[in-house]
Amino acid sequence: MHIAELAGKDSLSRRYFMEMTAKLSFGLSLSVPFLPRNFKAQDGGKAKNLIYIYLSGGMTHLDTFDPKKNKDVMGATEILDTNVDNMKFGMHLKELAKLGDKIGVINSMISTNGAHEQGEYIMRTGYSKRATIVHPTVGPWAETLLGKRGEILPDSVLIGQSTSNAGFMDPSLSPLPIADPSGGVPNTQLIVEGERFDRRMQMAQKLGQQFVDKFKYTGPKSYVEYYNQANRLLKSDALSAFDISNESNRADYGENRLGQGCLLARKLVENGVRVVEVVAGGWDMHQDIATGTADRLPELDQALATLIKDLDSRGLLDSTLIALGTEFGRTPDINMNAGRDHYPAAYSCILAGGGIKGGTVYGETDGMGKKVKANPVKPEDFLATIGYGLGLDLDETIYSPTQRPFTFADKGQPVTALFS
Amino acid sequence: MKSPIQLLIIGSLAITVAVLAPTPARARTWTSVDGKPLQAIFLGIEGTNYKFKLQNGNEVLVPKDKFVKADQEAAERLAKIGDDSFVKASARQIDLLLATTLKKNGFNSFNAPLPDDLFVRRVYLDITGRIPTREEFLAFAESARPDKREALIDELLLSPGYSSHLFNYFADMFRLHASDFQNGVRMDPYINWWREQLQNNKPYHQIVSDMILAKGNVGQNPASGFLLRDTGMEFDAFSNFGQVMLGIDISCAQCHDHPFDEWTQGDFYEMAAFFGNTQRSLAYRGDSMMGAGSIQMPNAPDGWKDNFMKWAEANKGIVPRDQNSNQFRFFVNALGWNVADNEALQTVLPHDFIGDGGKPGEVANPRTLIGAAAKLGGKTRREALVDWLSAPDNPRFALVIANRMWGRAFGRAIVEPVNDFSDEEIKQSSQVEALAFVTREMRRVNYDLREFMRILYNTRAYQSIATQEEPDLSKAYYFQGPVLRRMRAEQAWDSMMVLAHGAEIDQKKGGDGSFYKKILDVDFNSATNDDVWRHYEMWQNLRGGGATMAMVSEGDEYTPVFVNDSELRASELSQPAPGASMLDTFGQSDRRITDQHNYDGSVPQVLALMNGNVTQQLTGASSKVVSDLEELDGPDDKVRGVFFTLLNRFPSKEELDLGVGMIEDFGDEGISDLAWALMNSPEFLYIQ
Repeated sequence: MHIAELAGKDSLSRRYFMEMTAKLSFGLSLSVPFLPRNFKAQDGGKAKNLIYIYLSGGMTHLDTFDPKKNKDVMGATEILDTNVDNMKFGMHLKELAKLGDKIGVINSMISTNGAHEQGEYIMRTGYSKRATIVHPTVGPWAETLLGKRGEILPDSVLIGQSTSNAGFMDPSLSPLPIADPSGGVPNTQLIVEGERFDRRMQMAQKLGQQFVDKFKYTGPKSYVEYYNQANRLLKSDALSAFDISNESNRADYGENRLGQGCLLARKLVENGVRVVEVVAGGWDMHQDIATGTADRLPELDQALATLIKDLDSRGLLDSTLIALGTEFGRTPDINMNAGRDHYPAAYSCILAGGGIKGGTVYGETDGMGKKVKANPVKPEDFLATIGYGLGLDLDETIYSPTQRPFTFADKGQPVTALFS
Repeated sequence: MKSPIQLLIIGSLAITVAVLAPTPARARTWTSVDGKPLQAIFLGIEGTNYKFKLQNGNEVLVPKDKFVKADQEAAERLAKIGDDSFVKASARQIDLLLATTLKKNGFNSFNAPLPDDLFVRRVYLDITGRIPTREEFLAFAESARPDKREALIDELLLSPGYSSHLFNYFADMFRLHASDFQNGVRMDPYINWWREQLQNNKPYHQIVSDMILAKGNVGQNPASGFLLRDTGMEFDAFSNFGQVMLGIDISCAQCHDHPFDEWTQGDFYEMAAFFGNTQRSLAYRGDSMMGAGSIQMPNAPDGWKDNFMKWAEANKGIVPRDQNSNQFRFFVNALGWNVADNEALQTVLPHDFIGDGGKPGEVANPRTLIGAAAKLGGKTRREALVDWLSAPDNPRFALVIANRMWGRAFGRAIVEPVNDFSDEEIKQSSQVEALAFVTREMRRVNYDLREFMRILYNTRAYQSIATQEEPDLSKAYYFQGPVLRRMRAEQAWDSMMVLAHGAEIDQKKGGDGSFYKKILDVDFNSATNDDVWRHYEMWQNLRGGGATMAMVSEGDEYTPVFVNDSELRASELSQPAPGASMLDTFGQSDRRITDQHNYDGSVPQVLALMNGNVTQQLTGASSKVVSDLEELDGPDDKVRGVFFTLLNRFPSKEELDLGVGMIEDFGDEGISDLAWALMNSPEFLYIQ
């Protein structure tokens, strides 16, 4: 039984319970206060799946979801109307502009991290980067808080990076990394096929059995299980969930990593994977922002718009939360290199599907896109919003192996106003 | 080489403190061709003579050919690594201590002695980090030398595989990462410095001392990488210091008094204050990555950086905000990524300080939280800390590294986890006397890790079969033998490499970062602006080199050579291994936090063994296993050959019959099927 269940949701009793537990176990009082967050988790939770698109490098906010009338800060970018009155995009986001009524925009993101690694870390884990512990991303959290979903397929997949981890959680919860969305799962091409493969497997089992019996350890036995799983995977149709080579709308998504990553994400979610992260780089536009945005933004526009429409047409949009995140925005002042530098003081992220109230613009920056004027949203709040959408219990405490207590997205407050 | 007699004297002194320090009851007995014994400590070879020290202290020279062949072989070995009288005495002492405790706890003795074939596989994996080749296996199996086990241990300890494998352990412990920083600063010179320290068998306390005392950038002084590793996260760096050097995890006390242990938040900051005036400079600060330019560059004359930037603008047309000048600024920042002492800096208690022993904003003065107080008198804070660490009465430093090295040999340390245990847990540990003894031994051998491991590998406890029941981590384990271990990721990788490329892989070098080291190695006090500019021109050659490639320089000092070869041992690759590699799949640490290697299995691991490149090469259409065994006649020998190659042991009768049946039915296909099956039986990944 979880501590949260024992303690209930009442703030006083929960705090009391935590302290009692600490006193009973260790004879002293915990000096770290854990105050519950002011909402009820069950209000969210329409989303059964998550596709989290992460734009690594720092997506410019002015040229995308928070354009301004002030020409000085806009450079070459012009404002585009969307199909929602108060929602304006930069001129490259033509397809997304037609889908404004399906999108919730947050224009008041604010972070204290101006460096990529630290910024990306908190945007993907909800915690500040430390050198003494690694925090899990959304996938391992969701599997821990909601239970394992799939039998053959993993619960979470990370597209666009070749390594992953589950932070302080059990390594078995690590998202399956797929570096190249067109490449599928590595090492699934058999060396020999058919009967000869079966013969090899049988012989390996026979020769290995004596060793497994001799040593009464869990490790070798777990390998027997992993071989069984691998064998099932290789013989099942499940692998086809990772194969996008025959998808009819490949071109619609765009023949680039982001587009193909979004297509694979859609296919995986359709096949039962709960959390898919798609990470794509190329957003650190210190030089020549006009060229940078002209290259990247049409790709983003095409990939994301196709994803929303594709999920919608398959009846998956209501149950799939789409999130678009980045570590910071870019300076309103265009620098000497015609680029924009790092700007964590104000930036934009968006959400769609999965219970999000389309056509919402949350938060606001000043006329230059320099300062957040209303409703600031911190990285941990953004993560908490994602967790809220997925129906995670944000008050449930999970302990690291070193007995440090953690809750999803630290102390972040979900932006419940974005949900219908 | 340190004279054994000198060691004996140090050893005798230690006896007055500790009764259990080793005294070689007798030195090795050497035998002349006419059957006469000579009891003496071997000092080395001089010309055609052997030099000995007799029990009475006299040194003598005796012609080599006076000795029997076995002794001549032993002399050749000991000349390279030193006399083993102390090693054996010490190993016996450890066995005695372990056995006494084993008996007290209901065990008759150690596990059964390890048979030769299992021994050879285990020592290759433990010492050199890879399985032996079939030839190496057979050489040992067929040797009739009476001292063949200690001879193999010594040979392997002197081989390049030893330092390669030990590097992997420290890379995990010290979180060696090639590219951890902003501004394109790379750590390759620091990482290669680690390789060199281990290749040269530098004493561990000197390695630590060089790292803690380092000044300059990684070009001027590669050891500075240790302190630069956590620039901007200095308190986290100190938490790591506590775990790695003292076996104490005090990271909780960074934010509040430790909830379960005795440490207060004040203790944390006072101990951290030993690094309180250590400046890791040009650290990223503020919101704009370009905003750090005005910070004074340490280890350089005042205004050096500004002057150089101005000079570059005037003479080379570099405009600080010019489109092409990003690389120039990165270069200048990399030069300034520097460790220095700055007396103006202090450790200040944080604004949210809530613990005992201070108030927010107060200055914390350096104070050691365990053992005797460190003495500052005239020394810098870091010097005082180093002296305190390796002082004979430091309660933790020697114990921590001895306990860790024990864990490497036995698959489990005496106190666990190795980076966080209390004094009470030491006292209650299963083999507390053995732990105290090996701690003293660590000091006696002067932190020579090779000599220390040599002792452990020569114990009867180590040379026992692995314990067959998995020990419960929460219960005492008395070391009746090593525990069964899965290979580390690097052992699995290096074993694959040796299967694919043979033993020559041990000699193959990757990038050593020397070109990068040269670029950053600028003496700001003597270099002219033109000199520094030439370094910038070298820096420009790095562009397009790619983040995962390593650098070596060859011939012309201005030419970088990029090593983009992944067919190298794990220790020679860029650190940690580039993504999607088998190393990551098998649990290699990503080096973000200390001791992160994991040994869990997974489906991707199994897929890599079933279908990966090396398996393809060994058991695919043109099977390397089949061609390697072509010279052997008859299915029996071929089956044995496959077992020697993959599992380094003799097949049982049943296994032999099964394999022979495969070859009779399927010919060469049967051979590669058998090889595939052995690679894919769990035994392959385990060290028994």
